Amino acid sequence: MIAQEAQYRTWMLAALMGDDGAYRLLLHALTRNLRSYYARRLDRGAAEDAVQETLIAIHARRATYDPSLPFTAWVYGIARYKLIDEYRRHKRRATVPLDEAPELFAHDAAVEAIAKRDVNKLLAKLPPAKRQLVRDIKLDGVSIADAAARTGMSQTAVKVSVHRAVKSLGDGLAGNEGGRDAD
Amino acid sequence: MRTDDLIATLSSRLEPVRSGTVARVLLGMLGLGLAASTLVMLLGLGLRPDLGAAMHSFGMWTKLAYTFAIAGFGLWVVERAGRPGAPLGRPLALLALPLLAIALLAGLQMAQPGADARSLVMGHSALVCPFIIVLVAAPALLAAFWGLRRLAPTRLGLAGAGAGLFAGALGAFVYAFYCTEVAAPFIAVWYTLGIALTSLLGGILGRWALRW
Repeated sequence: MIAQEAQYRTWMLAALMGDDGAYRLLLHALTRNLRSYYARRLDRGAAEDAVQETLIAIHARRATYDPSLPFTAWVYGIARYKLIDEYRRHKRRATVPLDEAPELFAHDAAVEAIAKRDVNKLLAKLPPAKRQLVRDIKLDGVSIADAAARTGMSQTAVKVSVHRAVKSLGDGLAGNEGGRDAD
Repeated sequence: MRTDDLIATLSSRLEPVRSGTVARVLLGMLGLGLAASTLVMLLGLGLRPDLGAAMHSFGMWTKLAYTFAIAGFGLWVVERAGRPGAPLGRPLALLALPLLAIALLAGLQMAQPGADARSLVMGHSALVCPFIIVLVAAPALLAAFWGLRRLAPTRLGLAGAGAGLFAGALGAFVYAFYCTEVAAPFIAVWYTLGIALTSLLGGILGRWALRW
């Protein structure tokens, strides 16, 4: 959350100076936050509309961001306003809790933490050498050529090995899901 | 439209934001509000005939200083309310300063030996004063709403009340050039009531007039 604030703020300050690259990164990152925020509060279609409405509002009102204040609080203020707006439009008498800005940004971190834990659990099922290969190439972004050089395998062998490992993980996952459904 | 396409559209040809955009809106709000309220007052009421002499009186400066201070803090409330997520605590707390000052001054004048409390409070225009202030403040309230709509108010009732506070104080400031009351107790009660009524009006109207 604090790291996120720093990153978002850096992007925002650059965007205010006209840096469209930073701005694009910021809007994409915010889209993920906004999607999970609205998905838990609105219907599917309305949620994506609200995401877009909020992005447009962020764009149109970006001059009102005061760099001496937290950026996440600014975004959250707008997101919450658009949520209330959506409720009002559909004449729903809903009360919006006075939750704090972390609400908008906390979910992502939690999902990420769970996903990471699951990935680690899955990877533990692989033999050590393959586990390292999958981790390097699929998670850490090491190139096939580098991984081949590091392990002394041919590039093709690396590719095949990783492909098989991922497939076996996928099969394991499918089996797991089936088991869970049967419960 | 897909969200990715929207982002591409928004981020293409991105213009840098000129610094001080909010400050310019607030300044425009102040200038427009002051001009509009002054115009309404000059057309409807005119100036007090003894204005030249009155400018040297303590009562005149009490009114001007009191209303000016509230208008200033009101403008600060508007600025905070116009920025999403900005805390309002400080300007709202500081608002207590002019209120305390006028209450203290009123208390001192009432405690003078031989003071006639009733006439100090009621003056000769008590029952019309707050309503005239609301009327003179009305164009300033429109100016404040105009400005707020250029910002991003997310707490509409609060933003409207802040706009009303600013406009009411501005209206009272302008009205001071017509009103011949001089006693601090009068100002403390009736000027404050006029400003409070404008603030209430702003809070009620703001809930729908400030939607964006």
